[in-house]
Amino acid sequence: MDRVQQFINYYNGEPLIIQLVWIVACMLFFTTLIFIIYLKILRVKLRRNEKLITKFSKEYELLLVTYLYTESGEDGEISSEQKEVIDKLKESITNKFKREIVVLSFLKLTNEITGEMAESIYNLYANTKLKKYALAKLKSRKWDVIAGGIRELTLFHVKEAHDKVIKHVNHSKREVRKEVQLYLVNLFNFKGLNFLDDLKTPLSEWDQIQLLEELQKSEDQQIPDITAWLKSPNDYVVVFALKLAKIYNQFGMKEVLIDLLNHTSEKVRLELLPVLSYLHVLESKEVLKKDFNSRTKDEQIAIFKLLENLGETEDEPFILRHIHNSNFEIKFSALKILKDINIEKFRSFNLVPPESEFVKMVLFIENN
Amino acid sequence: MNNKLKIVLAEDNTTLSLLLKFRLEKEGYELIMAEDGKEAIEYIEQQMPDIIITDIMMPFVSGLEVISHVRNKLNLNTPIIVFSSAGQEEMVLKAFNLGANDFMGKPFSPNELVIRIKRLIG
Amino acid sequence: MDTSTVNTILLIFHYLFFIYTVAVILSYIILGTISLIETNQYLKKNKFVNYKEILSSNISPSISIIAPAYNESLNIVENVRSLLSSHYVNYDVIIVNDGSKDDSLEKLIEVYNLVKVDYLVNEQIPTKPLREGIFKSTNPAFEKLIVIDKENGGKSDALNMGLNISKSQYTACIDVDCLLLEDALQKMIKPFLELTEVKVIATGGVIRIANACTIKDGKLLDVDMPKSMLERAQILEYIRSFLLGRMAWSKLNGLLVISGAFGMFDKKIAIEVGGYDTNTVGEDMEIIVRMRRHMEEEKRKYRVAYIPDPLCWTEAPDSHKIFISQRNRWTRGTIETLRKHRKIGLNPKYRSLGLVSFPFWFIFERMAPIIEVVGLIYFCVLMFLNALRWDYAFVFFIAAYFFTVVFSLVAILSEEHTYHQYKKKGTGIKLVITTFLEPFIFHPFVLYAAIRGNFDYIFNKNKKWGVMKRKGLVNKS
Repeated sequence: MDRVQQFINYYNGEPLIIQLVWIVACMLFFTTLIFIIYLKILRVKLRRNEKLITKFSKEYELLLVTYLYTESGEDGEISSEQKEVIDKLKESITNKFKREIVVLSFLKLTNEITGEMAESIYNLYANTKLKKYALAKLKSRKWDVIAGGIRELTLFHVKEAHDKVIKHVNHSKREVRKEVQLYLVNLFNFKGLNFLDDLKTPLSEWDQIQLLEELQKSEDQQIPDITAWLKSPNDYVVVFALKLAKIYNQFGMKEVLIDLLNHTSEKVRLELLPVLSYLHVLESKEVLKKDFNSRTKDEQIAIFKLLENLGETEDEPFILRHIHNSNFEIKFSALKILKDINIEKFRSFNLVPPESEFVKMVLFIENN
Repeated sequence: MNNKLKIVLAEDNTTLSLLLKFRLEKEGYELIMAEDGKEAIEYIEQQMPDIIITDIMMPFVSGLEVISHVRNKLNLNTPIIVFSSAGQEEMVLKAFNLGANDFMGKPFSPNELVIRIKRLIG
Repeated sequence: MDTSTVNTILLIFHYLFFIYTVAVILSYIILGTISLIETNQYLKKNKFVNYKEILSSNISPSISIIAPAYNESLNIVENVRSLLSSHYVNYDVIIVNDGSKDDSLEKLIEVYNLVKVDYLVNEQIPTKPLREGIFKSTNPAFEKLIVIDKENGGKSDALNMGLNISKSQYTACIDVDCLLLEDALQKMIKPFLELTEVKVIATGGVIRIANACTIKDGKLLDVDMPKSMLERAQILEYIRSFLLGRMAWSKLNGLLVISGAFGMFDKKIAIEVGGYDTNTVGEDMEIIVRMRRHMEEEKRKYRVAYIPDPLCWTEAPDSHKIFISQRNRWTRGTIETLRKHRKIGLNPKYRSLGLVSFPFWFIFERMAPIIEVVGLIYFCVLMFLNALRWDYAFVFFIAAYFFTVVFSLVAILSEEHTYHQYKKKGTGIKLVITTFLEPFIFHPFVLYAAIRGNFDYIFNKNKKWGVMKRKGLVNKS
């Protein structure tokens, strides 16, 4: 006690700053101890969880596969073994930890198989009441819970949830909106794209790719009229519609597409040019050649890529004007096109001494 | 004497492998499971299966290399079916160029797989 | 000078030191907190991201992996194989053999069935010329591989040639012996495709230390703790700086550096700024600063993003000599970059780049070792003059020491909560012990290397890369 008293006296005599430092040092010391203990507990818990996850995963996988392989009754009734599986699962899923493992096990299959077996899994999902939990997530206030719920409903093809899901279509969080969009497209294919009509928020490239991939998987490949989307005030919708035009060979859209050549957004125009090329819209060439110089460098390069595909003899004068363009890619394209449309003219450029960059290019194109 | 036809199946999704194992064993085949391309090649060399089924996207040694190894290094004519995820047409073309006999895009129907196996080896 | 002036000077000196220390501590706390929040956000956002679609889609953008190689014959075949096994559809691998004096090229030609091809190079960035030429494979299984053999020009020069040759939209610049996980490309490309309001110019990945990990056939099989203190301390340091530092800078859009071991760039912009600088040893930091500066000057909205997932595993120095050489190089790189771009420092034209990032890096990264050494010298001087208040020194030291320990523990705890890579029993204890010993056993080397770096920068301009003996990840089975 004497020592402590000594220390307290010493402490009280020191300037404020030093006192503060003493306090901070002590706090930090105790924090260290707490953190170390916490670390130990955390690691033990994580290790235990992992073992449990492995154990339960195997169990549930087996249950699931058993369910899928026991013969069902005469008229599609559930067999007794299947009923057993359902009951076992119902019991487990009351526990959140186990529930997540069950869902994951199911999901490992749903991505890989289709047909009757996939349908069986969806039925099992409904029968074990897992659906109920996912729907409950939609009511949460936390955005990541809502998004997770929608995702699950998507993966298990729960079409009945449509009205509940669509309430979130204009959610403030991008991630939630994306899940809603994926839900709609995954389960309702092209009809699910109706959200594009009123979409006021951006649609990132990532999202677009996901949606397009989902669409390509559906059996129903009947694409609706995309004209409205091509004229949308939302540039992202236009870009998406252009992608659709290309993937689904929308040759009927020629006029609308040519109009888009004067769209205000460069992004749209850059997306448009390869589509025009792919759909063989020869009429676009005149417009492009006329206002070529007023377009950006990237557009100019894209225009030449288009001409590589659609170039004809009548384009020769234009091409010749650009075989010495300062930009490498345009020059290269121009020479390639020239080789296709007028091989003699092309060969005539071989005469200049071979060290020049230009002739190197000519020789390369000739030989490849 | 064991008359069962042998299948080497290379697939890294454990649930899917289990499912296919069940299904194919039910049909009377003997299944040897590999989790990646390297294992697959080892089993193929050891067991000389009657048919090989492999995923294309696998850790390290891809399905394509398995096909290449079987056709070019081992010079075997064992029928090969490949799985591919949707959109990998290029990979599928390469697989065929290397000597694959059939392919199934994922997601696929296990029943369909059985039909294709029967078509190739009975 | 009379006593009172000396006293005033000393007092100012004390206060400056004190303010500096408080600033350092505050900055750690702020950055650490922002990092944790940001990492948490990232994990939430990416919990159910389906990466499968992007990799099989033929609309997904093209990526070129560019890997410069110099005398990597020992492991180059396996490293290339590993790079070729990425789960992405639209990419190619460009290996730039930078004038190696060994048989790297021959080995590659043999194993991958390479033949020389005719190629027209768009020399957007001047580089040293080709040597043997450009090679591609005749085997369709290796269609994604392009090997360039050129005259030696250094890492930057090799990367620049890769940029010239690549026909992709994005380039991932990587150290050839880095183990890239299968889904690395799609995770790194995501920010480029996801952000709509701003243009992402580069993304950086976390580098994890692969020493003592089991890597077989290009696949990460097992993660373990190395035995030596030096390696363990580096692991701790990386966890701290990546989890508690870079995520915050990414959020604040203040990242000045992306690890040279693994980074992805918008190729067009990288070329627009002229590619990598061949005159610096800190080319990874320098190009980011230059790209950012360019975007600021062009008044274009942009971001440099960061992916906290462990995607790239690489070998860290396991001998003190090589370690010091590496840190020496890093120091010189930082000094060179900051000096080259000093115009942006405290310049409002460059907004947060000039007003926040640059000063921060200058004061807390570049000047920190110097300030620390000055402090140490002062401490010693006081000691000699018997003017040292031992009790003050003691309490300050205790406070500083435990602050470091707590901060490191926070880093370890966040690593456990997020990626939990070190699962083995006992690694927790090892990390904790490392935390306690680090300030005594590791930090002095870091400090020494930094001072050497400063010294070499001023007096030893010709020093370049130093020695990095390759042991290779592959042989540790």
